[in-house]
Amino acid sequence: MNRLAEQLAANDMSEFGLHNNNDSAAIAGPSFQLAAGSNPAAFAHHFIDAKSEKDSLIKIAHGTTTLAFKFKDGVIVATDSRATAGNVIASQTVKKVIEINPYLLGTMAGGAADCSFWERVLGMECRLYELRNKKRISVAAASKMLANLVYRYKGMGLSMGTMVAGWDEKGPGLYYVDSEGQRIANDLFSVGSGSTYAYGILDSHYRYDMEVEEALDVARRAIYHATHRDAYSGGIVRMYWVRETGWEAFPLEDVGQLYYRYHPEIQLTNSAESPLTVAPLA
Amino acid sequence: MDAQFAIAGRDFVISVTDKGVMSSILKMKKNQDKTCQLSSHTFMSVSGEPGDTSNFSEYIQGNVKLYSVRNSQDLSPSETANFIRGELADALRSRSPSHVNLLVAGYDKGAGEAALYWIDYLSAMAKVPFASHGYCGYFLYAVMDREYTPDITLDGAKALVKKCFEVLKTRFVIDFADYTIKVVDRDGTRELRQDEL
Amino acid sequence: MSIMQYNGSAIVAMAGKDCVAIAADKRLGQRALTVDTDFQKVFPITDRTYVGLPGLATDVKTLYDRFRMRVNLYKHREERTIEPKTFSHLVSHMLYERRFGPYFVEPIIAGLDKNDKPYICGMDLIGCLDFAKDFIVGGTASDNLYGMCESLWEPDLGPNDLFETISQALLAAVDRDALSGWGAVVHIITPEGVITRDIKGRMD
Repeated sequence: MNRLAEQLAANDMSEFGLHNNNDSAAIAGPSFQLAAGSNPAAFAHHFIDAKSEKDSLIKIAHGTTTLAFKFKDGVIVATDSRATAGNVIASQTVKKVIEINPYLLGTMAGGAADCSFWERVLGMECRLYELRNKKRISVAAASKMLANLVYRYKGMGLSMGTMVAGWDEKGPGLYYVDSEGQRIANDLFSVGSGSTYAYGILDSHYRYDMEVEEALDVARRAIYHATHRDAYSGGIVRMYWVRETGWEAFPLEDVGQLYYRYHPEIQLTNSAESPLTVAPLA
Repeated sequence: MDAQFAIAGRDFVISVTDKGVMSSILKMKKNQDKTCQLSSHTFMSVSGEPGDTSNFSEYIQGNVKLYSVRNSQDLSPSETANFIRGELADALRSRSPSHVNLLVAGYDKGAGEAALYWIDYLSAMAKVPFASHGYCGYFLYAVMDREYTPDITLDGAKALVKKCFEVLKTRFVIDFADYTIKVVDRDGTRELRQDEL
Repeated sequence: MSIMQYNGSAIVAMAGKDCVAIAADKRLGQRALTVDTDFQKVFPITDRTYVGLPGLATDVKTLYDRFRMRVNLYKHREERTIEPKTFSHLVSHMLYERRFGPYFVEPIIAGLDKNDKPYICGMDLIGCLDFAKDFIVGGTASDNLYGMCESLWEPDLGPNDLFETISQALLAAVDRDALSGWGAVVHIITPEGVITRDIKGRMD
């Protein structure tokens, strides 16, 4: 049994016709061993169906709300922080913003491992680009690099919806890149199960000429409203502002407290001091 | 794929339903009224399985009217909603369940307040300040959460409805041509055109 | 996703010293979408018997309406209010009547009997009774609730301590369940009367 596994692992991967197809010097990044068989993707899919809710070997953060938008003073990036495994809240303190380098941010939606791995690879490639070319990589180039990296594995179960935000020679940059290989530039994106709610807030309150405070407020509210309605989003609001000097992070804000800040009329207290009073029997 | 939502203030409800009838990739009609008047101060909007929607709402309309005639008194909005829920719940466990999503809106003359009931096709019911059915809820609930206050005025609600239209227009795949906009308050029910918002 | 998880719920009942408590979350959802954050799942049956109905929201309403009718009939026929134990057997029987097309609800009953003795019980969706001396849990957060109750519950808690215990158990449990929460309500049933309190929880 072990010999068979060794044999399969040692197999020349070009036999499966996957690497040769679009492997070129231009596309960087690691390469992976594939399962043996005529269709490795289908074989693997049987065990690691990332998109199903069933007992998959890979646990995926399905729910998320992430957003990013350009405005006159740069880019705002905001995310929630919930990770769920089925209905169980696995974590309320996930960091869904990946700091690729001091001028580039990536966001995480879909597979947590997929996002963090490939954006780490992207960070490495961006640094190599800097060393080779003696200048920082543009947001356009960086996002294209990420898109190319994951496009090689299209149809094999990668799951990611990410926004690459940053600042380069041309000013603010914002791209959406996903595991289908799609890459689009725009002023405003939201990704994840709570994205529709965030879009609702963003569309009715976003303006390009906002001041920073207002921009942060819109972003905070968009994430907050998404967490309120979407069961798979929640935790804390994490916000970043990217400008000419690079990105800066803001203090984390607990959604649990935001609700009562936005609804001062709700006066509920769980304090032990308030005495329990018995309602008279009907 | 209908747009169906409503907002209740203290003494009014404003309800919005799109007028499109779609079948597969085909637009069959663009001026269908998907609301159903139950009494002078109560109506409901209906979406769901074609056929079930009209059959169920006509059945409800007939029986609510029958009650009014027999008892010389209209059912209140809460009585109407509970009756509808009961009928839908019975149908659910019968051989012919109705797949309909409802918003029951009314003004309770006795209590002097407006009421909005959300009922889904499984006949789960909730009395809510604002509500939506179907995909449009994924866009509109956040907007309504953001803007709604319990003391919202009719003008405020109209402005909110306009905001909802804007969001649907920019984000929803389907372009809804026109909407039935109905208001119910102490004076009864009236229909508004989009330019009257 | 199972139909028991479609709307989301978390209900817990606990026995104390001469008192019982029952608490529930307030979410009504359609899978991931939260529709209402003020949905009641615990209902008074008599002055000192409450029933909690975790499960499918449509059956919560249908069953509560039917319970009310049956309890009123009982009251008229017997000229006395129903005891919590009698009521649980009534519920169990009503659920088993639908053995082959069940209501998707796992009722939890909490009350004081005529000797002021605490009574709590739960059952599955076809009426298998589960009597307990300590606590009963149900809903999408039931795994979490078991863990919380096992560590927080202790015998002979007075009304104040029982309130604190059940509240903390429920709040901590729903904070790890995506489908329940959005506020909660606690009822403490004592021989003197019932204390009902809305408690503050996370709204995400």
